[in-house]
Amino acid sequence: MSTLQPAPQPSPRSAQRGSAQAAVSLEGVTYRYPGTQAGVLDVTVDIQPGELVVCLGPSGCGKTTLLRLIAGFLKPDAGVIRLNGEDVRGLPTRSRECGVVFQAYALFPHMRVWENVAYPLRVREVGVDERHRLADEILERVGLSGLSERLPAQLSGGQQQRVALARALVFGPRALLLDEPLSALDAGTRVAMRDEVRRIQRSHNIATLLITHDQDEALSLADRIVLLKDGALVQTGSPQELYDRPADAFVAGFIGRANLLDGTVIDGQTVHTPIGRLATAPHGRAAGSALRMLVRPERVEVAHGAGGENVFAAKVLRDRFFGATRQIEVAAGEGRLEIETAMRDDVAHVRVPREAIQFLNGP
Amino acid sequence: MFLRWVTAAYLAYLVVPIALLLVGSVGELWLNTLLPTGLTTQWYRDVAGDPSFRRAFGASLAVVALTCAACVAVGLPLAYAVFRAESPRVRALARVLYQLPVALPPLVLAFGFILVFSSDTLPWLGSVWLLAAGHVVLALPYFLQTVLADMQRLGLRTLEDAAESLGSSGIQRFMHIVLPALSQSILAGLIIVAALSIGEFQFSNLVAGFLNRTYPVVLLQAFYGATGFACAATVILLTLAVAAAIAGSLAAGGATRFKTAVA
Repeated sequence: MSTLQPAPQPSPRSAQRGSAQAAVSLEGVTYRYPGTQAGVLDVTVDIQPGELVVCLGPSGCGKTTLLRLIAGFLKPDAGVIRLNGEDVRGLPTRSRECGVVFQAYALFPHMRVWENVAYPLRVREVGVDERHRLADEILERVGLSGLSERLPAQLSGGQQQRVALARALVFGPRALLLDEPLSALDAGTRVAMRDEVRRIQRSHNIATLLITHDQDEALSLADRIVLLKDGALVQTGSPQELYDRPADAFVAGFIGRANLLDGTVIDGQTVHTPIGRLATAPHGRAAGSALRMLVRPERVEVAHGAGGENVFAAKVLRDRFFGATRQIEVAAGEGRLEIETAMRDDVAHVRVPREAIQFLNGP
Repeated sequence: MFLRWVTAAYLAYLVVPIALLLVGSVGELWLNTLLPTGLTTQWYRDVAGDPSFRRAFGASLAVVALTCAACVAVGLPLAYAVFRAESPRVRALARVLYQLPVALPPLVLAFGFILVFSSDTLPWLGSVWLLAAGHVVLALPYFLQTVLADMQRLGLRTLEDAAESLGSSGIQRFMHIVLPALSQSILAGLIIVAALSIGEFQFSNLVAGFLNRTYPVVLLQAFYGATGFACAATVILLTLAVAAAIAGSLAAGGATRFKTAVA
């Protein structure tokens, strides 16, 4: 019985694949819901011990399916799922030792807080005194000491969330799986709970998969982001990688805000775009070919005069003030640009610096 | 103002007959007057001492107990099966099927029972068992409805998923999670069943034999005798029914105690 030990335990059945073992490993995993096109398609992901991987994507992209496959609620049509190197395809959910936190927490309404947390120990036949002690211990670590005699209905959303986390961790699981854990909280609590989830995950040093559709949550929490679209993996990488070097227009548009410019190549360093003729870094495309480019709103500058490279006359369409920044949408040439700036001045001209332009692949 | 009058009138309409029953049950003599004259507990003592009423009371309790037990034994697994059914079409069909008896007049059911159970091969007409069996048919839809609604409201499926991921086996999930989480709604459902079974007349009147008549069936006889006696006998039935109703709403209130935990 490894209760509070954060270190992952190699199972005795542990297998074959020795090398720098991932805590969770998916290899070409495919699942289709019977009679539909929904599911996941050929997904390959590793989660290292202690790593927090965020699975991000629009709703219906297969994020939750992925979690349910790892937890064992669904069986893959193809591919291999390993936990600490052990092929778990034949294991039922209850033997997979994954701590799952559900979207609505799924606390047992008739059990007190400590009984909820101690439930995994109860089914593992830990004595009642011992499991009460262990439950109280972990409740203290998630900041809930003193509430252990309450019923779940008597707790706030954030507190229920912590109970669910404590319950998922108390039995020393091989991995922690969080299904949209913060989506049921109000905005203020959500941001605070983000840090709390991160702290608890760090202190247990446990491989974690967190499902979300909220890009802010993904950017601020993740060691690595896995971006899904229509059940397929689009890009994997650190938050910075996905933001700075998006694989395609979908990633660029989904993570952060983006100006996507479709242009036609004029020469090696010039492209014709709806906002006007744009000087770029060398792009290596043939004249006349189509080129899609990304410019992040915060990289567009407000210019003070008409002269200079890539300066365009701009007409403000919308101006939203957020205190620290302003988000402005302007019309330039035949196109539009989103700008994010701290400047308070009127905007009549904007500049798109050459180095702010990224070339995107694909449609 | 108008609403208040309507409410008051409706309340009076509900309460006055009951009040008159109460008054009548302790009135000594009630002939051609607006209210009875004299005060007595004799009618209650008469009812309590009447062998056919005592017997009917016992038969009613036995039928209620059997009906409740059968509703749990049949209804709980059935509700669970409907709830866990994969296909929405199967769930919809099951819902239509189990709601059918609500539309069925007890009279029709009774005729069916008489046809089947008065034969020489199945000569069980008039037994307590058969009465309970009929009451189960009539009351089960209400039990299923109550329990199924709570399964959905509690998000029982996710609770079970959670328990399973925490290492709980099928039997453990049923004993640790399903039964306790549903205990309040099972109780609420049973009280509806009990109230229906206690007051059921149409079916029981036709199917009950002479030996195992239920309380409402015997009660009808009382109206051919003294008014006070009839009132006292009715008040006893009324008390049972009201007690069941109050217990039912208390149990339902207890069930909502859990609700916010999963909202």
